[in-house]
Amino acid sequence: MKKTSKLSRDGAVWGLVMVAPTIIGLLVLNIWPFIETIYMSFSKSKAFGTFEFNGLDNYIEMFQSTEFWKATWNSIYFCILTVPVGVFLALLVAVLLNAKLKGRTAFRAIFFLPMVVAPAAVAMVWKWIFNTEYGIINSILGQNVRWLTNPTIVLVTCAIVAIWSAIGYDAVLLLSGIQNISASLYEAASLDGASKVQQFFHITLPMVSPTLFVVLIMRLMASLKVYDLIYMMVDQANPALTSAQSLMYLFYRESFVAGNKGYASAIVIWTVLLIGIVTLLQFAGQKKWVNYEV
Amino acid sequence: MSLMRRLACAALSVCLAAGLATGLTGCGESSDGTVNLTFQIWDVAQRDGMQAMCDAYTAEHPNVKIEVQVTSWNEYWTKLEAAAMSNKMPDIFWMHTNEILKYADNGKLADCSDIVETEHFSDISLANASGSDGKLYGVPKDKDTVGLVYNKEMFDQAGVAYPDETWTWDDLVSASQAIYDATGKYGYMAYGDDQLGYWNFVYQAGGSILTEDNTRANFTDPATQKGMEFYIGLQSHDWCPDQNYFAETAPGAAFFSEKGAMFFEGNWNILTELQNYPDMVGKWDVAVLPACPDPVSGDGRATISNGLSYATGANNKHMDIVKDVLKFFGSEEGQRIQGESGAAIPAYEGLEETWVGVFDEYPIDVQCFIDMFDYSVQSVNNAARPEWKSKVSDTLLKIYSGELDLSTGLQTMQEIVDEASAEYYE
Repeated sequence: MKKTSKLSRDGAVWGLVMVAPTIIGLLVLNIWPFIETIYMSFSKSKAFGTFEFNGLDNYIEMFQSTEFWKATWNSIYFCILTVPVGVFLALLVAVLLNAKLKGRTAFRAIFFLPMVVAPAAVAMVWKWIFNTEYGIINSILGQNVRWLTNPTIVLVTCAIVAIWSAIGYDAVLLLSGIQNISASLYEAASLDGASKVQQFFHITLPMVSPTLFVVLIMRLMASLKVYDLIYMMVDQANPALTSAQSLMYLFYRESFVAGNKGYASAIVIWTVLLIGIVTLLQFAGQKKWVNYEV
Repeated sequence: MSLMRRLACAALSVCLAAGLATGLTGCGESSDGTVNLTFQIWDVAQRDGMQAMCDAYTAEHPNVKIEVQVTSWNEYWTKLEAAAMSNKMPDIFWMHTNEILKYADNGKLADCSDIVETEHFSDISLANASGSDGKLYGVPKDKDTVGLVYNKEMFDQAGVAYPDETWTWDDLVSASQAIYDATGKYGYMAYGDDQLGYWNFVYQAGGSILTEDNTRANFTDPATQKGMEFYIGLQSHDWCPDQNYFAETAPGAAFFSEKGAMFFEGNWNILTELQNYPDMVGKWDVAVLPACPDPVSGDGRATISNGLSYATGANNKHMDIVKDVLKFFGSEEGQRIQGESGAAIPAYEGLEETWVGVFDEYPIDVQCFIDMFDYSVQSVNNAARPEWKSKVSDTLLKIYSGELDLSTGLQTMQEIVDEASAEYYE
């Protein structure tokens, strides 16, 4: 048996002591509540935090509910609307912000600004902009588009706002990725006569793909979990509510409005599974396009 | 154990102990015998009134200090529920009829039967402060009614007489049409709301939302249907915006930007609206709600009356002192201070005029809110209401959007309420 030296044993203990706050925090604030949520999803909630185990009842009720499937589709549809367009625009903005232009820092700040503003404030302002009767968009268009109350376009409207508020953050991440690309690659390419567009597709895109992958994963998770924006834009007196209600919105209404915490936990577990599956698929697919070679 | 490790352990435990200690010394009795109480409310507009009341108590009992804390309506209930679960409720807090049954029926509130002077409060006020077992779990604080707010200028332009106590639903419709024809503005703005909307019409028609014992819904009753049909049907007129409009523009916002001539408003908002829209002061007034011209039963008059109460937790550490404070809040003196601050109409009978007096400086006659107490109806409530409330309003939206016709919609509402209530009353 090999005896570990006193120093390394103490070192290991000290290491644990140093990370203890984080580990304890994680256990108390994340992992334990998660386990409790799983338990709650198999229980019927009563007032004031008491639960009664009821097996699969919540899940059976959930899978039979049209409202639930509608909310699931709404969340997926919201992803389809926001993620591809949003990430593409963020990449475009990142490339433009990387170019040598006057007041570049100011532009970077401006694009990042929506991320700093509270989502509630963003939604309030956009709600006025999209107002059917008195909104600026309809008065410019001279139309009477029901942006927020027409069931077929309400999520598109929310998606526009979501993209607008996320572009800056994603662009800054991508920008840092772009700035890590060695200038010599571009020099060599231009000596070989490659155009700017060719340089973008053959140098920038492959080299920034690891960052792009991270951005994509984060954006997909955030979109599947969307709540605050839709909650603020589509209030509970809106007839288009069921067409805009995301999974997390449904969760909020079930748990905090109706006090149905057990059923709401089942919705959360479903959302976690959904996000897990989507993320796994992304990791499986990354080999095809993400380039980790420098 | 090395010395360093022992030191680290000691340091950690000191930190933990300090954390616990600061958590515990938050409230309670200090060394000089002063008792510090916390008083949680949700309406910032009433803070000064509540503080004045607390100061009056402290003036008589210098050893009791009460701190008023304001939390927004949404956070209030999340916080209070968490506090109730961990037995750390504020010493005194407001209770709302939406929630009182949940708290009272689960034993979270102290029985206040011994400190309420019941002869000074109306039956509705007492009922609004009672649990399902009929005991008082709070001291009645205030009472409210719903009135018809109208824009005088638009009535003048259309040459229509102002609403008064002779008005019926027919007058509401014809005046709205006349105003729409003359000014192009909306008439009466009817929207998807219960207390400020269809509840009033249902009771005016002689119907009710719940059966008399509050254990089942009554949506399929012909009188209830009559009220619902009339109210929901109002949006089919050109002079009333549809529900899509109200999803984006609150009726109050539309009224005070002079887009519509009338809407229903609770008396608790009037003072704030006078203060928030100074340009509109003088252009509008309030009247009693119009009556149903041909009610299935009754005289066609009704308005929903809700009320708050002051409550304390069942396990409060300073129960005697807190109950004495609550008794003061429910006494004539306490209620008078509340009324004179303009916060709300005191629940204490005979002090209504203190609230009316606050409006002397404004060109508005709020007496109608007081007059309506003669035929007011207790705000709809049963123990299952948190569960059915939002589902019923979703169904109402489906009727508005045409997804459900009226009778299917009402049938659905009936089933939702019955199903949720069955768990509590069977």
